[in-house]
Amino acid sequence: MQDNAILDTLRAVMRRCTTQDIDWDAVTLETEIQSLGIDSLAVLDLIYEIQQEFDTEIEAERFVGVKTVADVAALLEQRGV
Amino acid sequence: MVWLKHSLEYAGAVCALAIIDRLPLMRAEALARRLARAWFRVAGTRRRIAVDNILAARITADPAEANRIARKSFEHFGVVLVESLKSGAIFDEHNWRDKVDLDLAPQTAALLEEPERGLILVSAHFGSWELAAQLLSYFKPVVGITRRMNNPLADTLVQRRKPRNRFTLTPKHDADIGRLLGILRRGDILAMMVDQRAPARGMSVPFFGRPASTYVSAALLHLVTGTPICFGYCVRLAPFRYRIVAHPPLVYAPSGNKEQDIRMILCEINRHIEAVVRAYPEQYLWAHRRWR
Repeated sequence: MQDNAILDTLRAVMRRCTTQDIDWDAVTLETEIQSLGIDSLAVLDLIYEIQQEFDTEIEAERFVGVKTVADVAALLEQRGV
Repeated sequence: MVWLKHSLEYAGAVCALAIIDRLPLMRAEALARRLARAWFRVAGTRRRIAVDNILAARITADPAEANRIARKSFEHFGVVLVESLKSGAIFDEHNWRDKVDLDLAPQTAALLEEPERGLILVSAHFGSWELAAQLLSYFKPVVGITRRMNNPLADTLVQRRKPRNRFTLTPKHDADIGRLLGILRRGDILAMMVDQRAPARGMSVPFFGRPASTYVSAALLHLVTGTPICFGYCVRLAPFRYRIVAHPPLVYAPSGNKEQDIRMILCEINRHIEAVVRAYPEQYLWAHRRWR
């Protein structure tokens, strides 16, 4: 999947994991996911959504230490998405 | 002023613990019952919450009976506190099974015996949950998630006194996802109490027929890790006699509808809690604003 396509999909996924009012067009690969209101516990929501959206079995532990949208995209890339 | 209040509470707690430590068990329990009855009389707000909750949950429709159950509940938790504090002198690795009836579903028993397999154990403020965690840690380490007390001095005291055997605590606000996943990866038991009001991020699900904001973390952890999630509880039968019950693991595969998946798990857990609370209403912590 192209970077832009992944970014668009991740924006849609992350939108479902936060209650904060975010300017999603301004979200880039460099954006820290914590700044989107996705804190350490909301990461569980993100993991669920990503596992379902991309139909991939990324182990939940792989998300530990993930800081930016690019980190999430890299995990997906490693999975061949 | 807050400092003074906290210091006085701390001093009171230290004195109470010193007395409990020195008294023989039965006298300590008798003292705990008397103090709990006195607390029940003076703690008007908590007493009213407890009685109102018992009536709202339709445990009984009779206010006098609700009052009796609430008083017994206060006494129960006084006694449980004493037994929890004294358990180190009563139980050891070799004798604990003589004093405890274990009623474990075979699949859950197998998980407890298997060192590599983690388990999410969900329970309620019922019976003697802390003692159950201490005893289950003879199988494998148990990590309980706990809320910090408002009084930091008392919190330090509690954190120092509660853990026994391989039972440890991790504060809820420090419970980052990496730590929780690490507990499960090690094959330990992650113990979570799911019957208190979730102030934020809770999901509203029925509890005794009324919508109650409920913590979702246990259900989400199960859905994203596939780690078995199981409901268990510990009934107090007599002084230092207990029955620990563990249900078969719940198995839910993610469907893609997160809210629905979580709701199904939480509803099932709440149904289990309701059943055991209806069977032993005096052993449930009613003095909590569950439906606020």
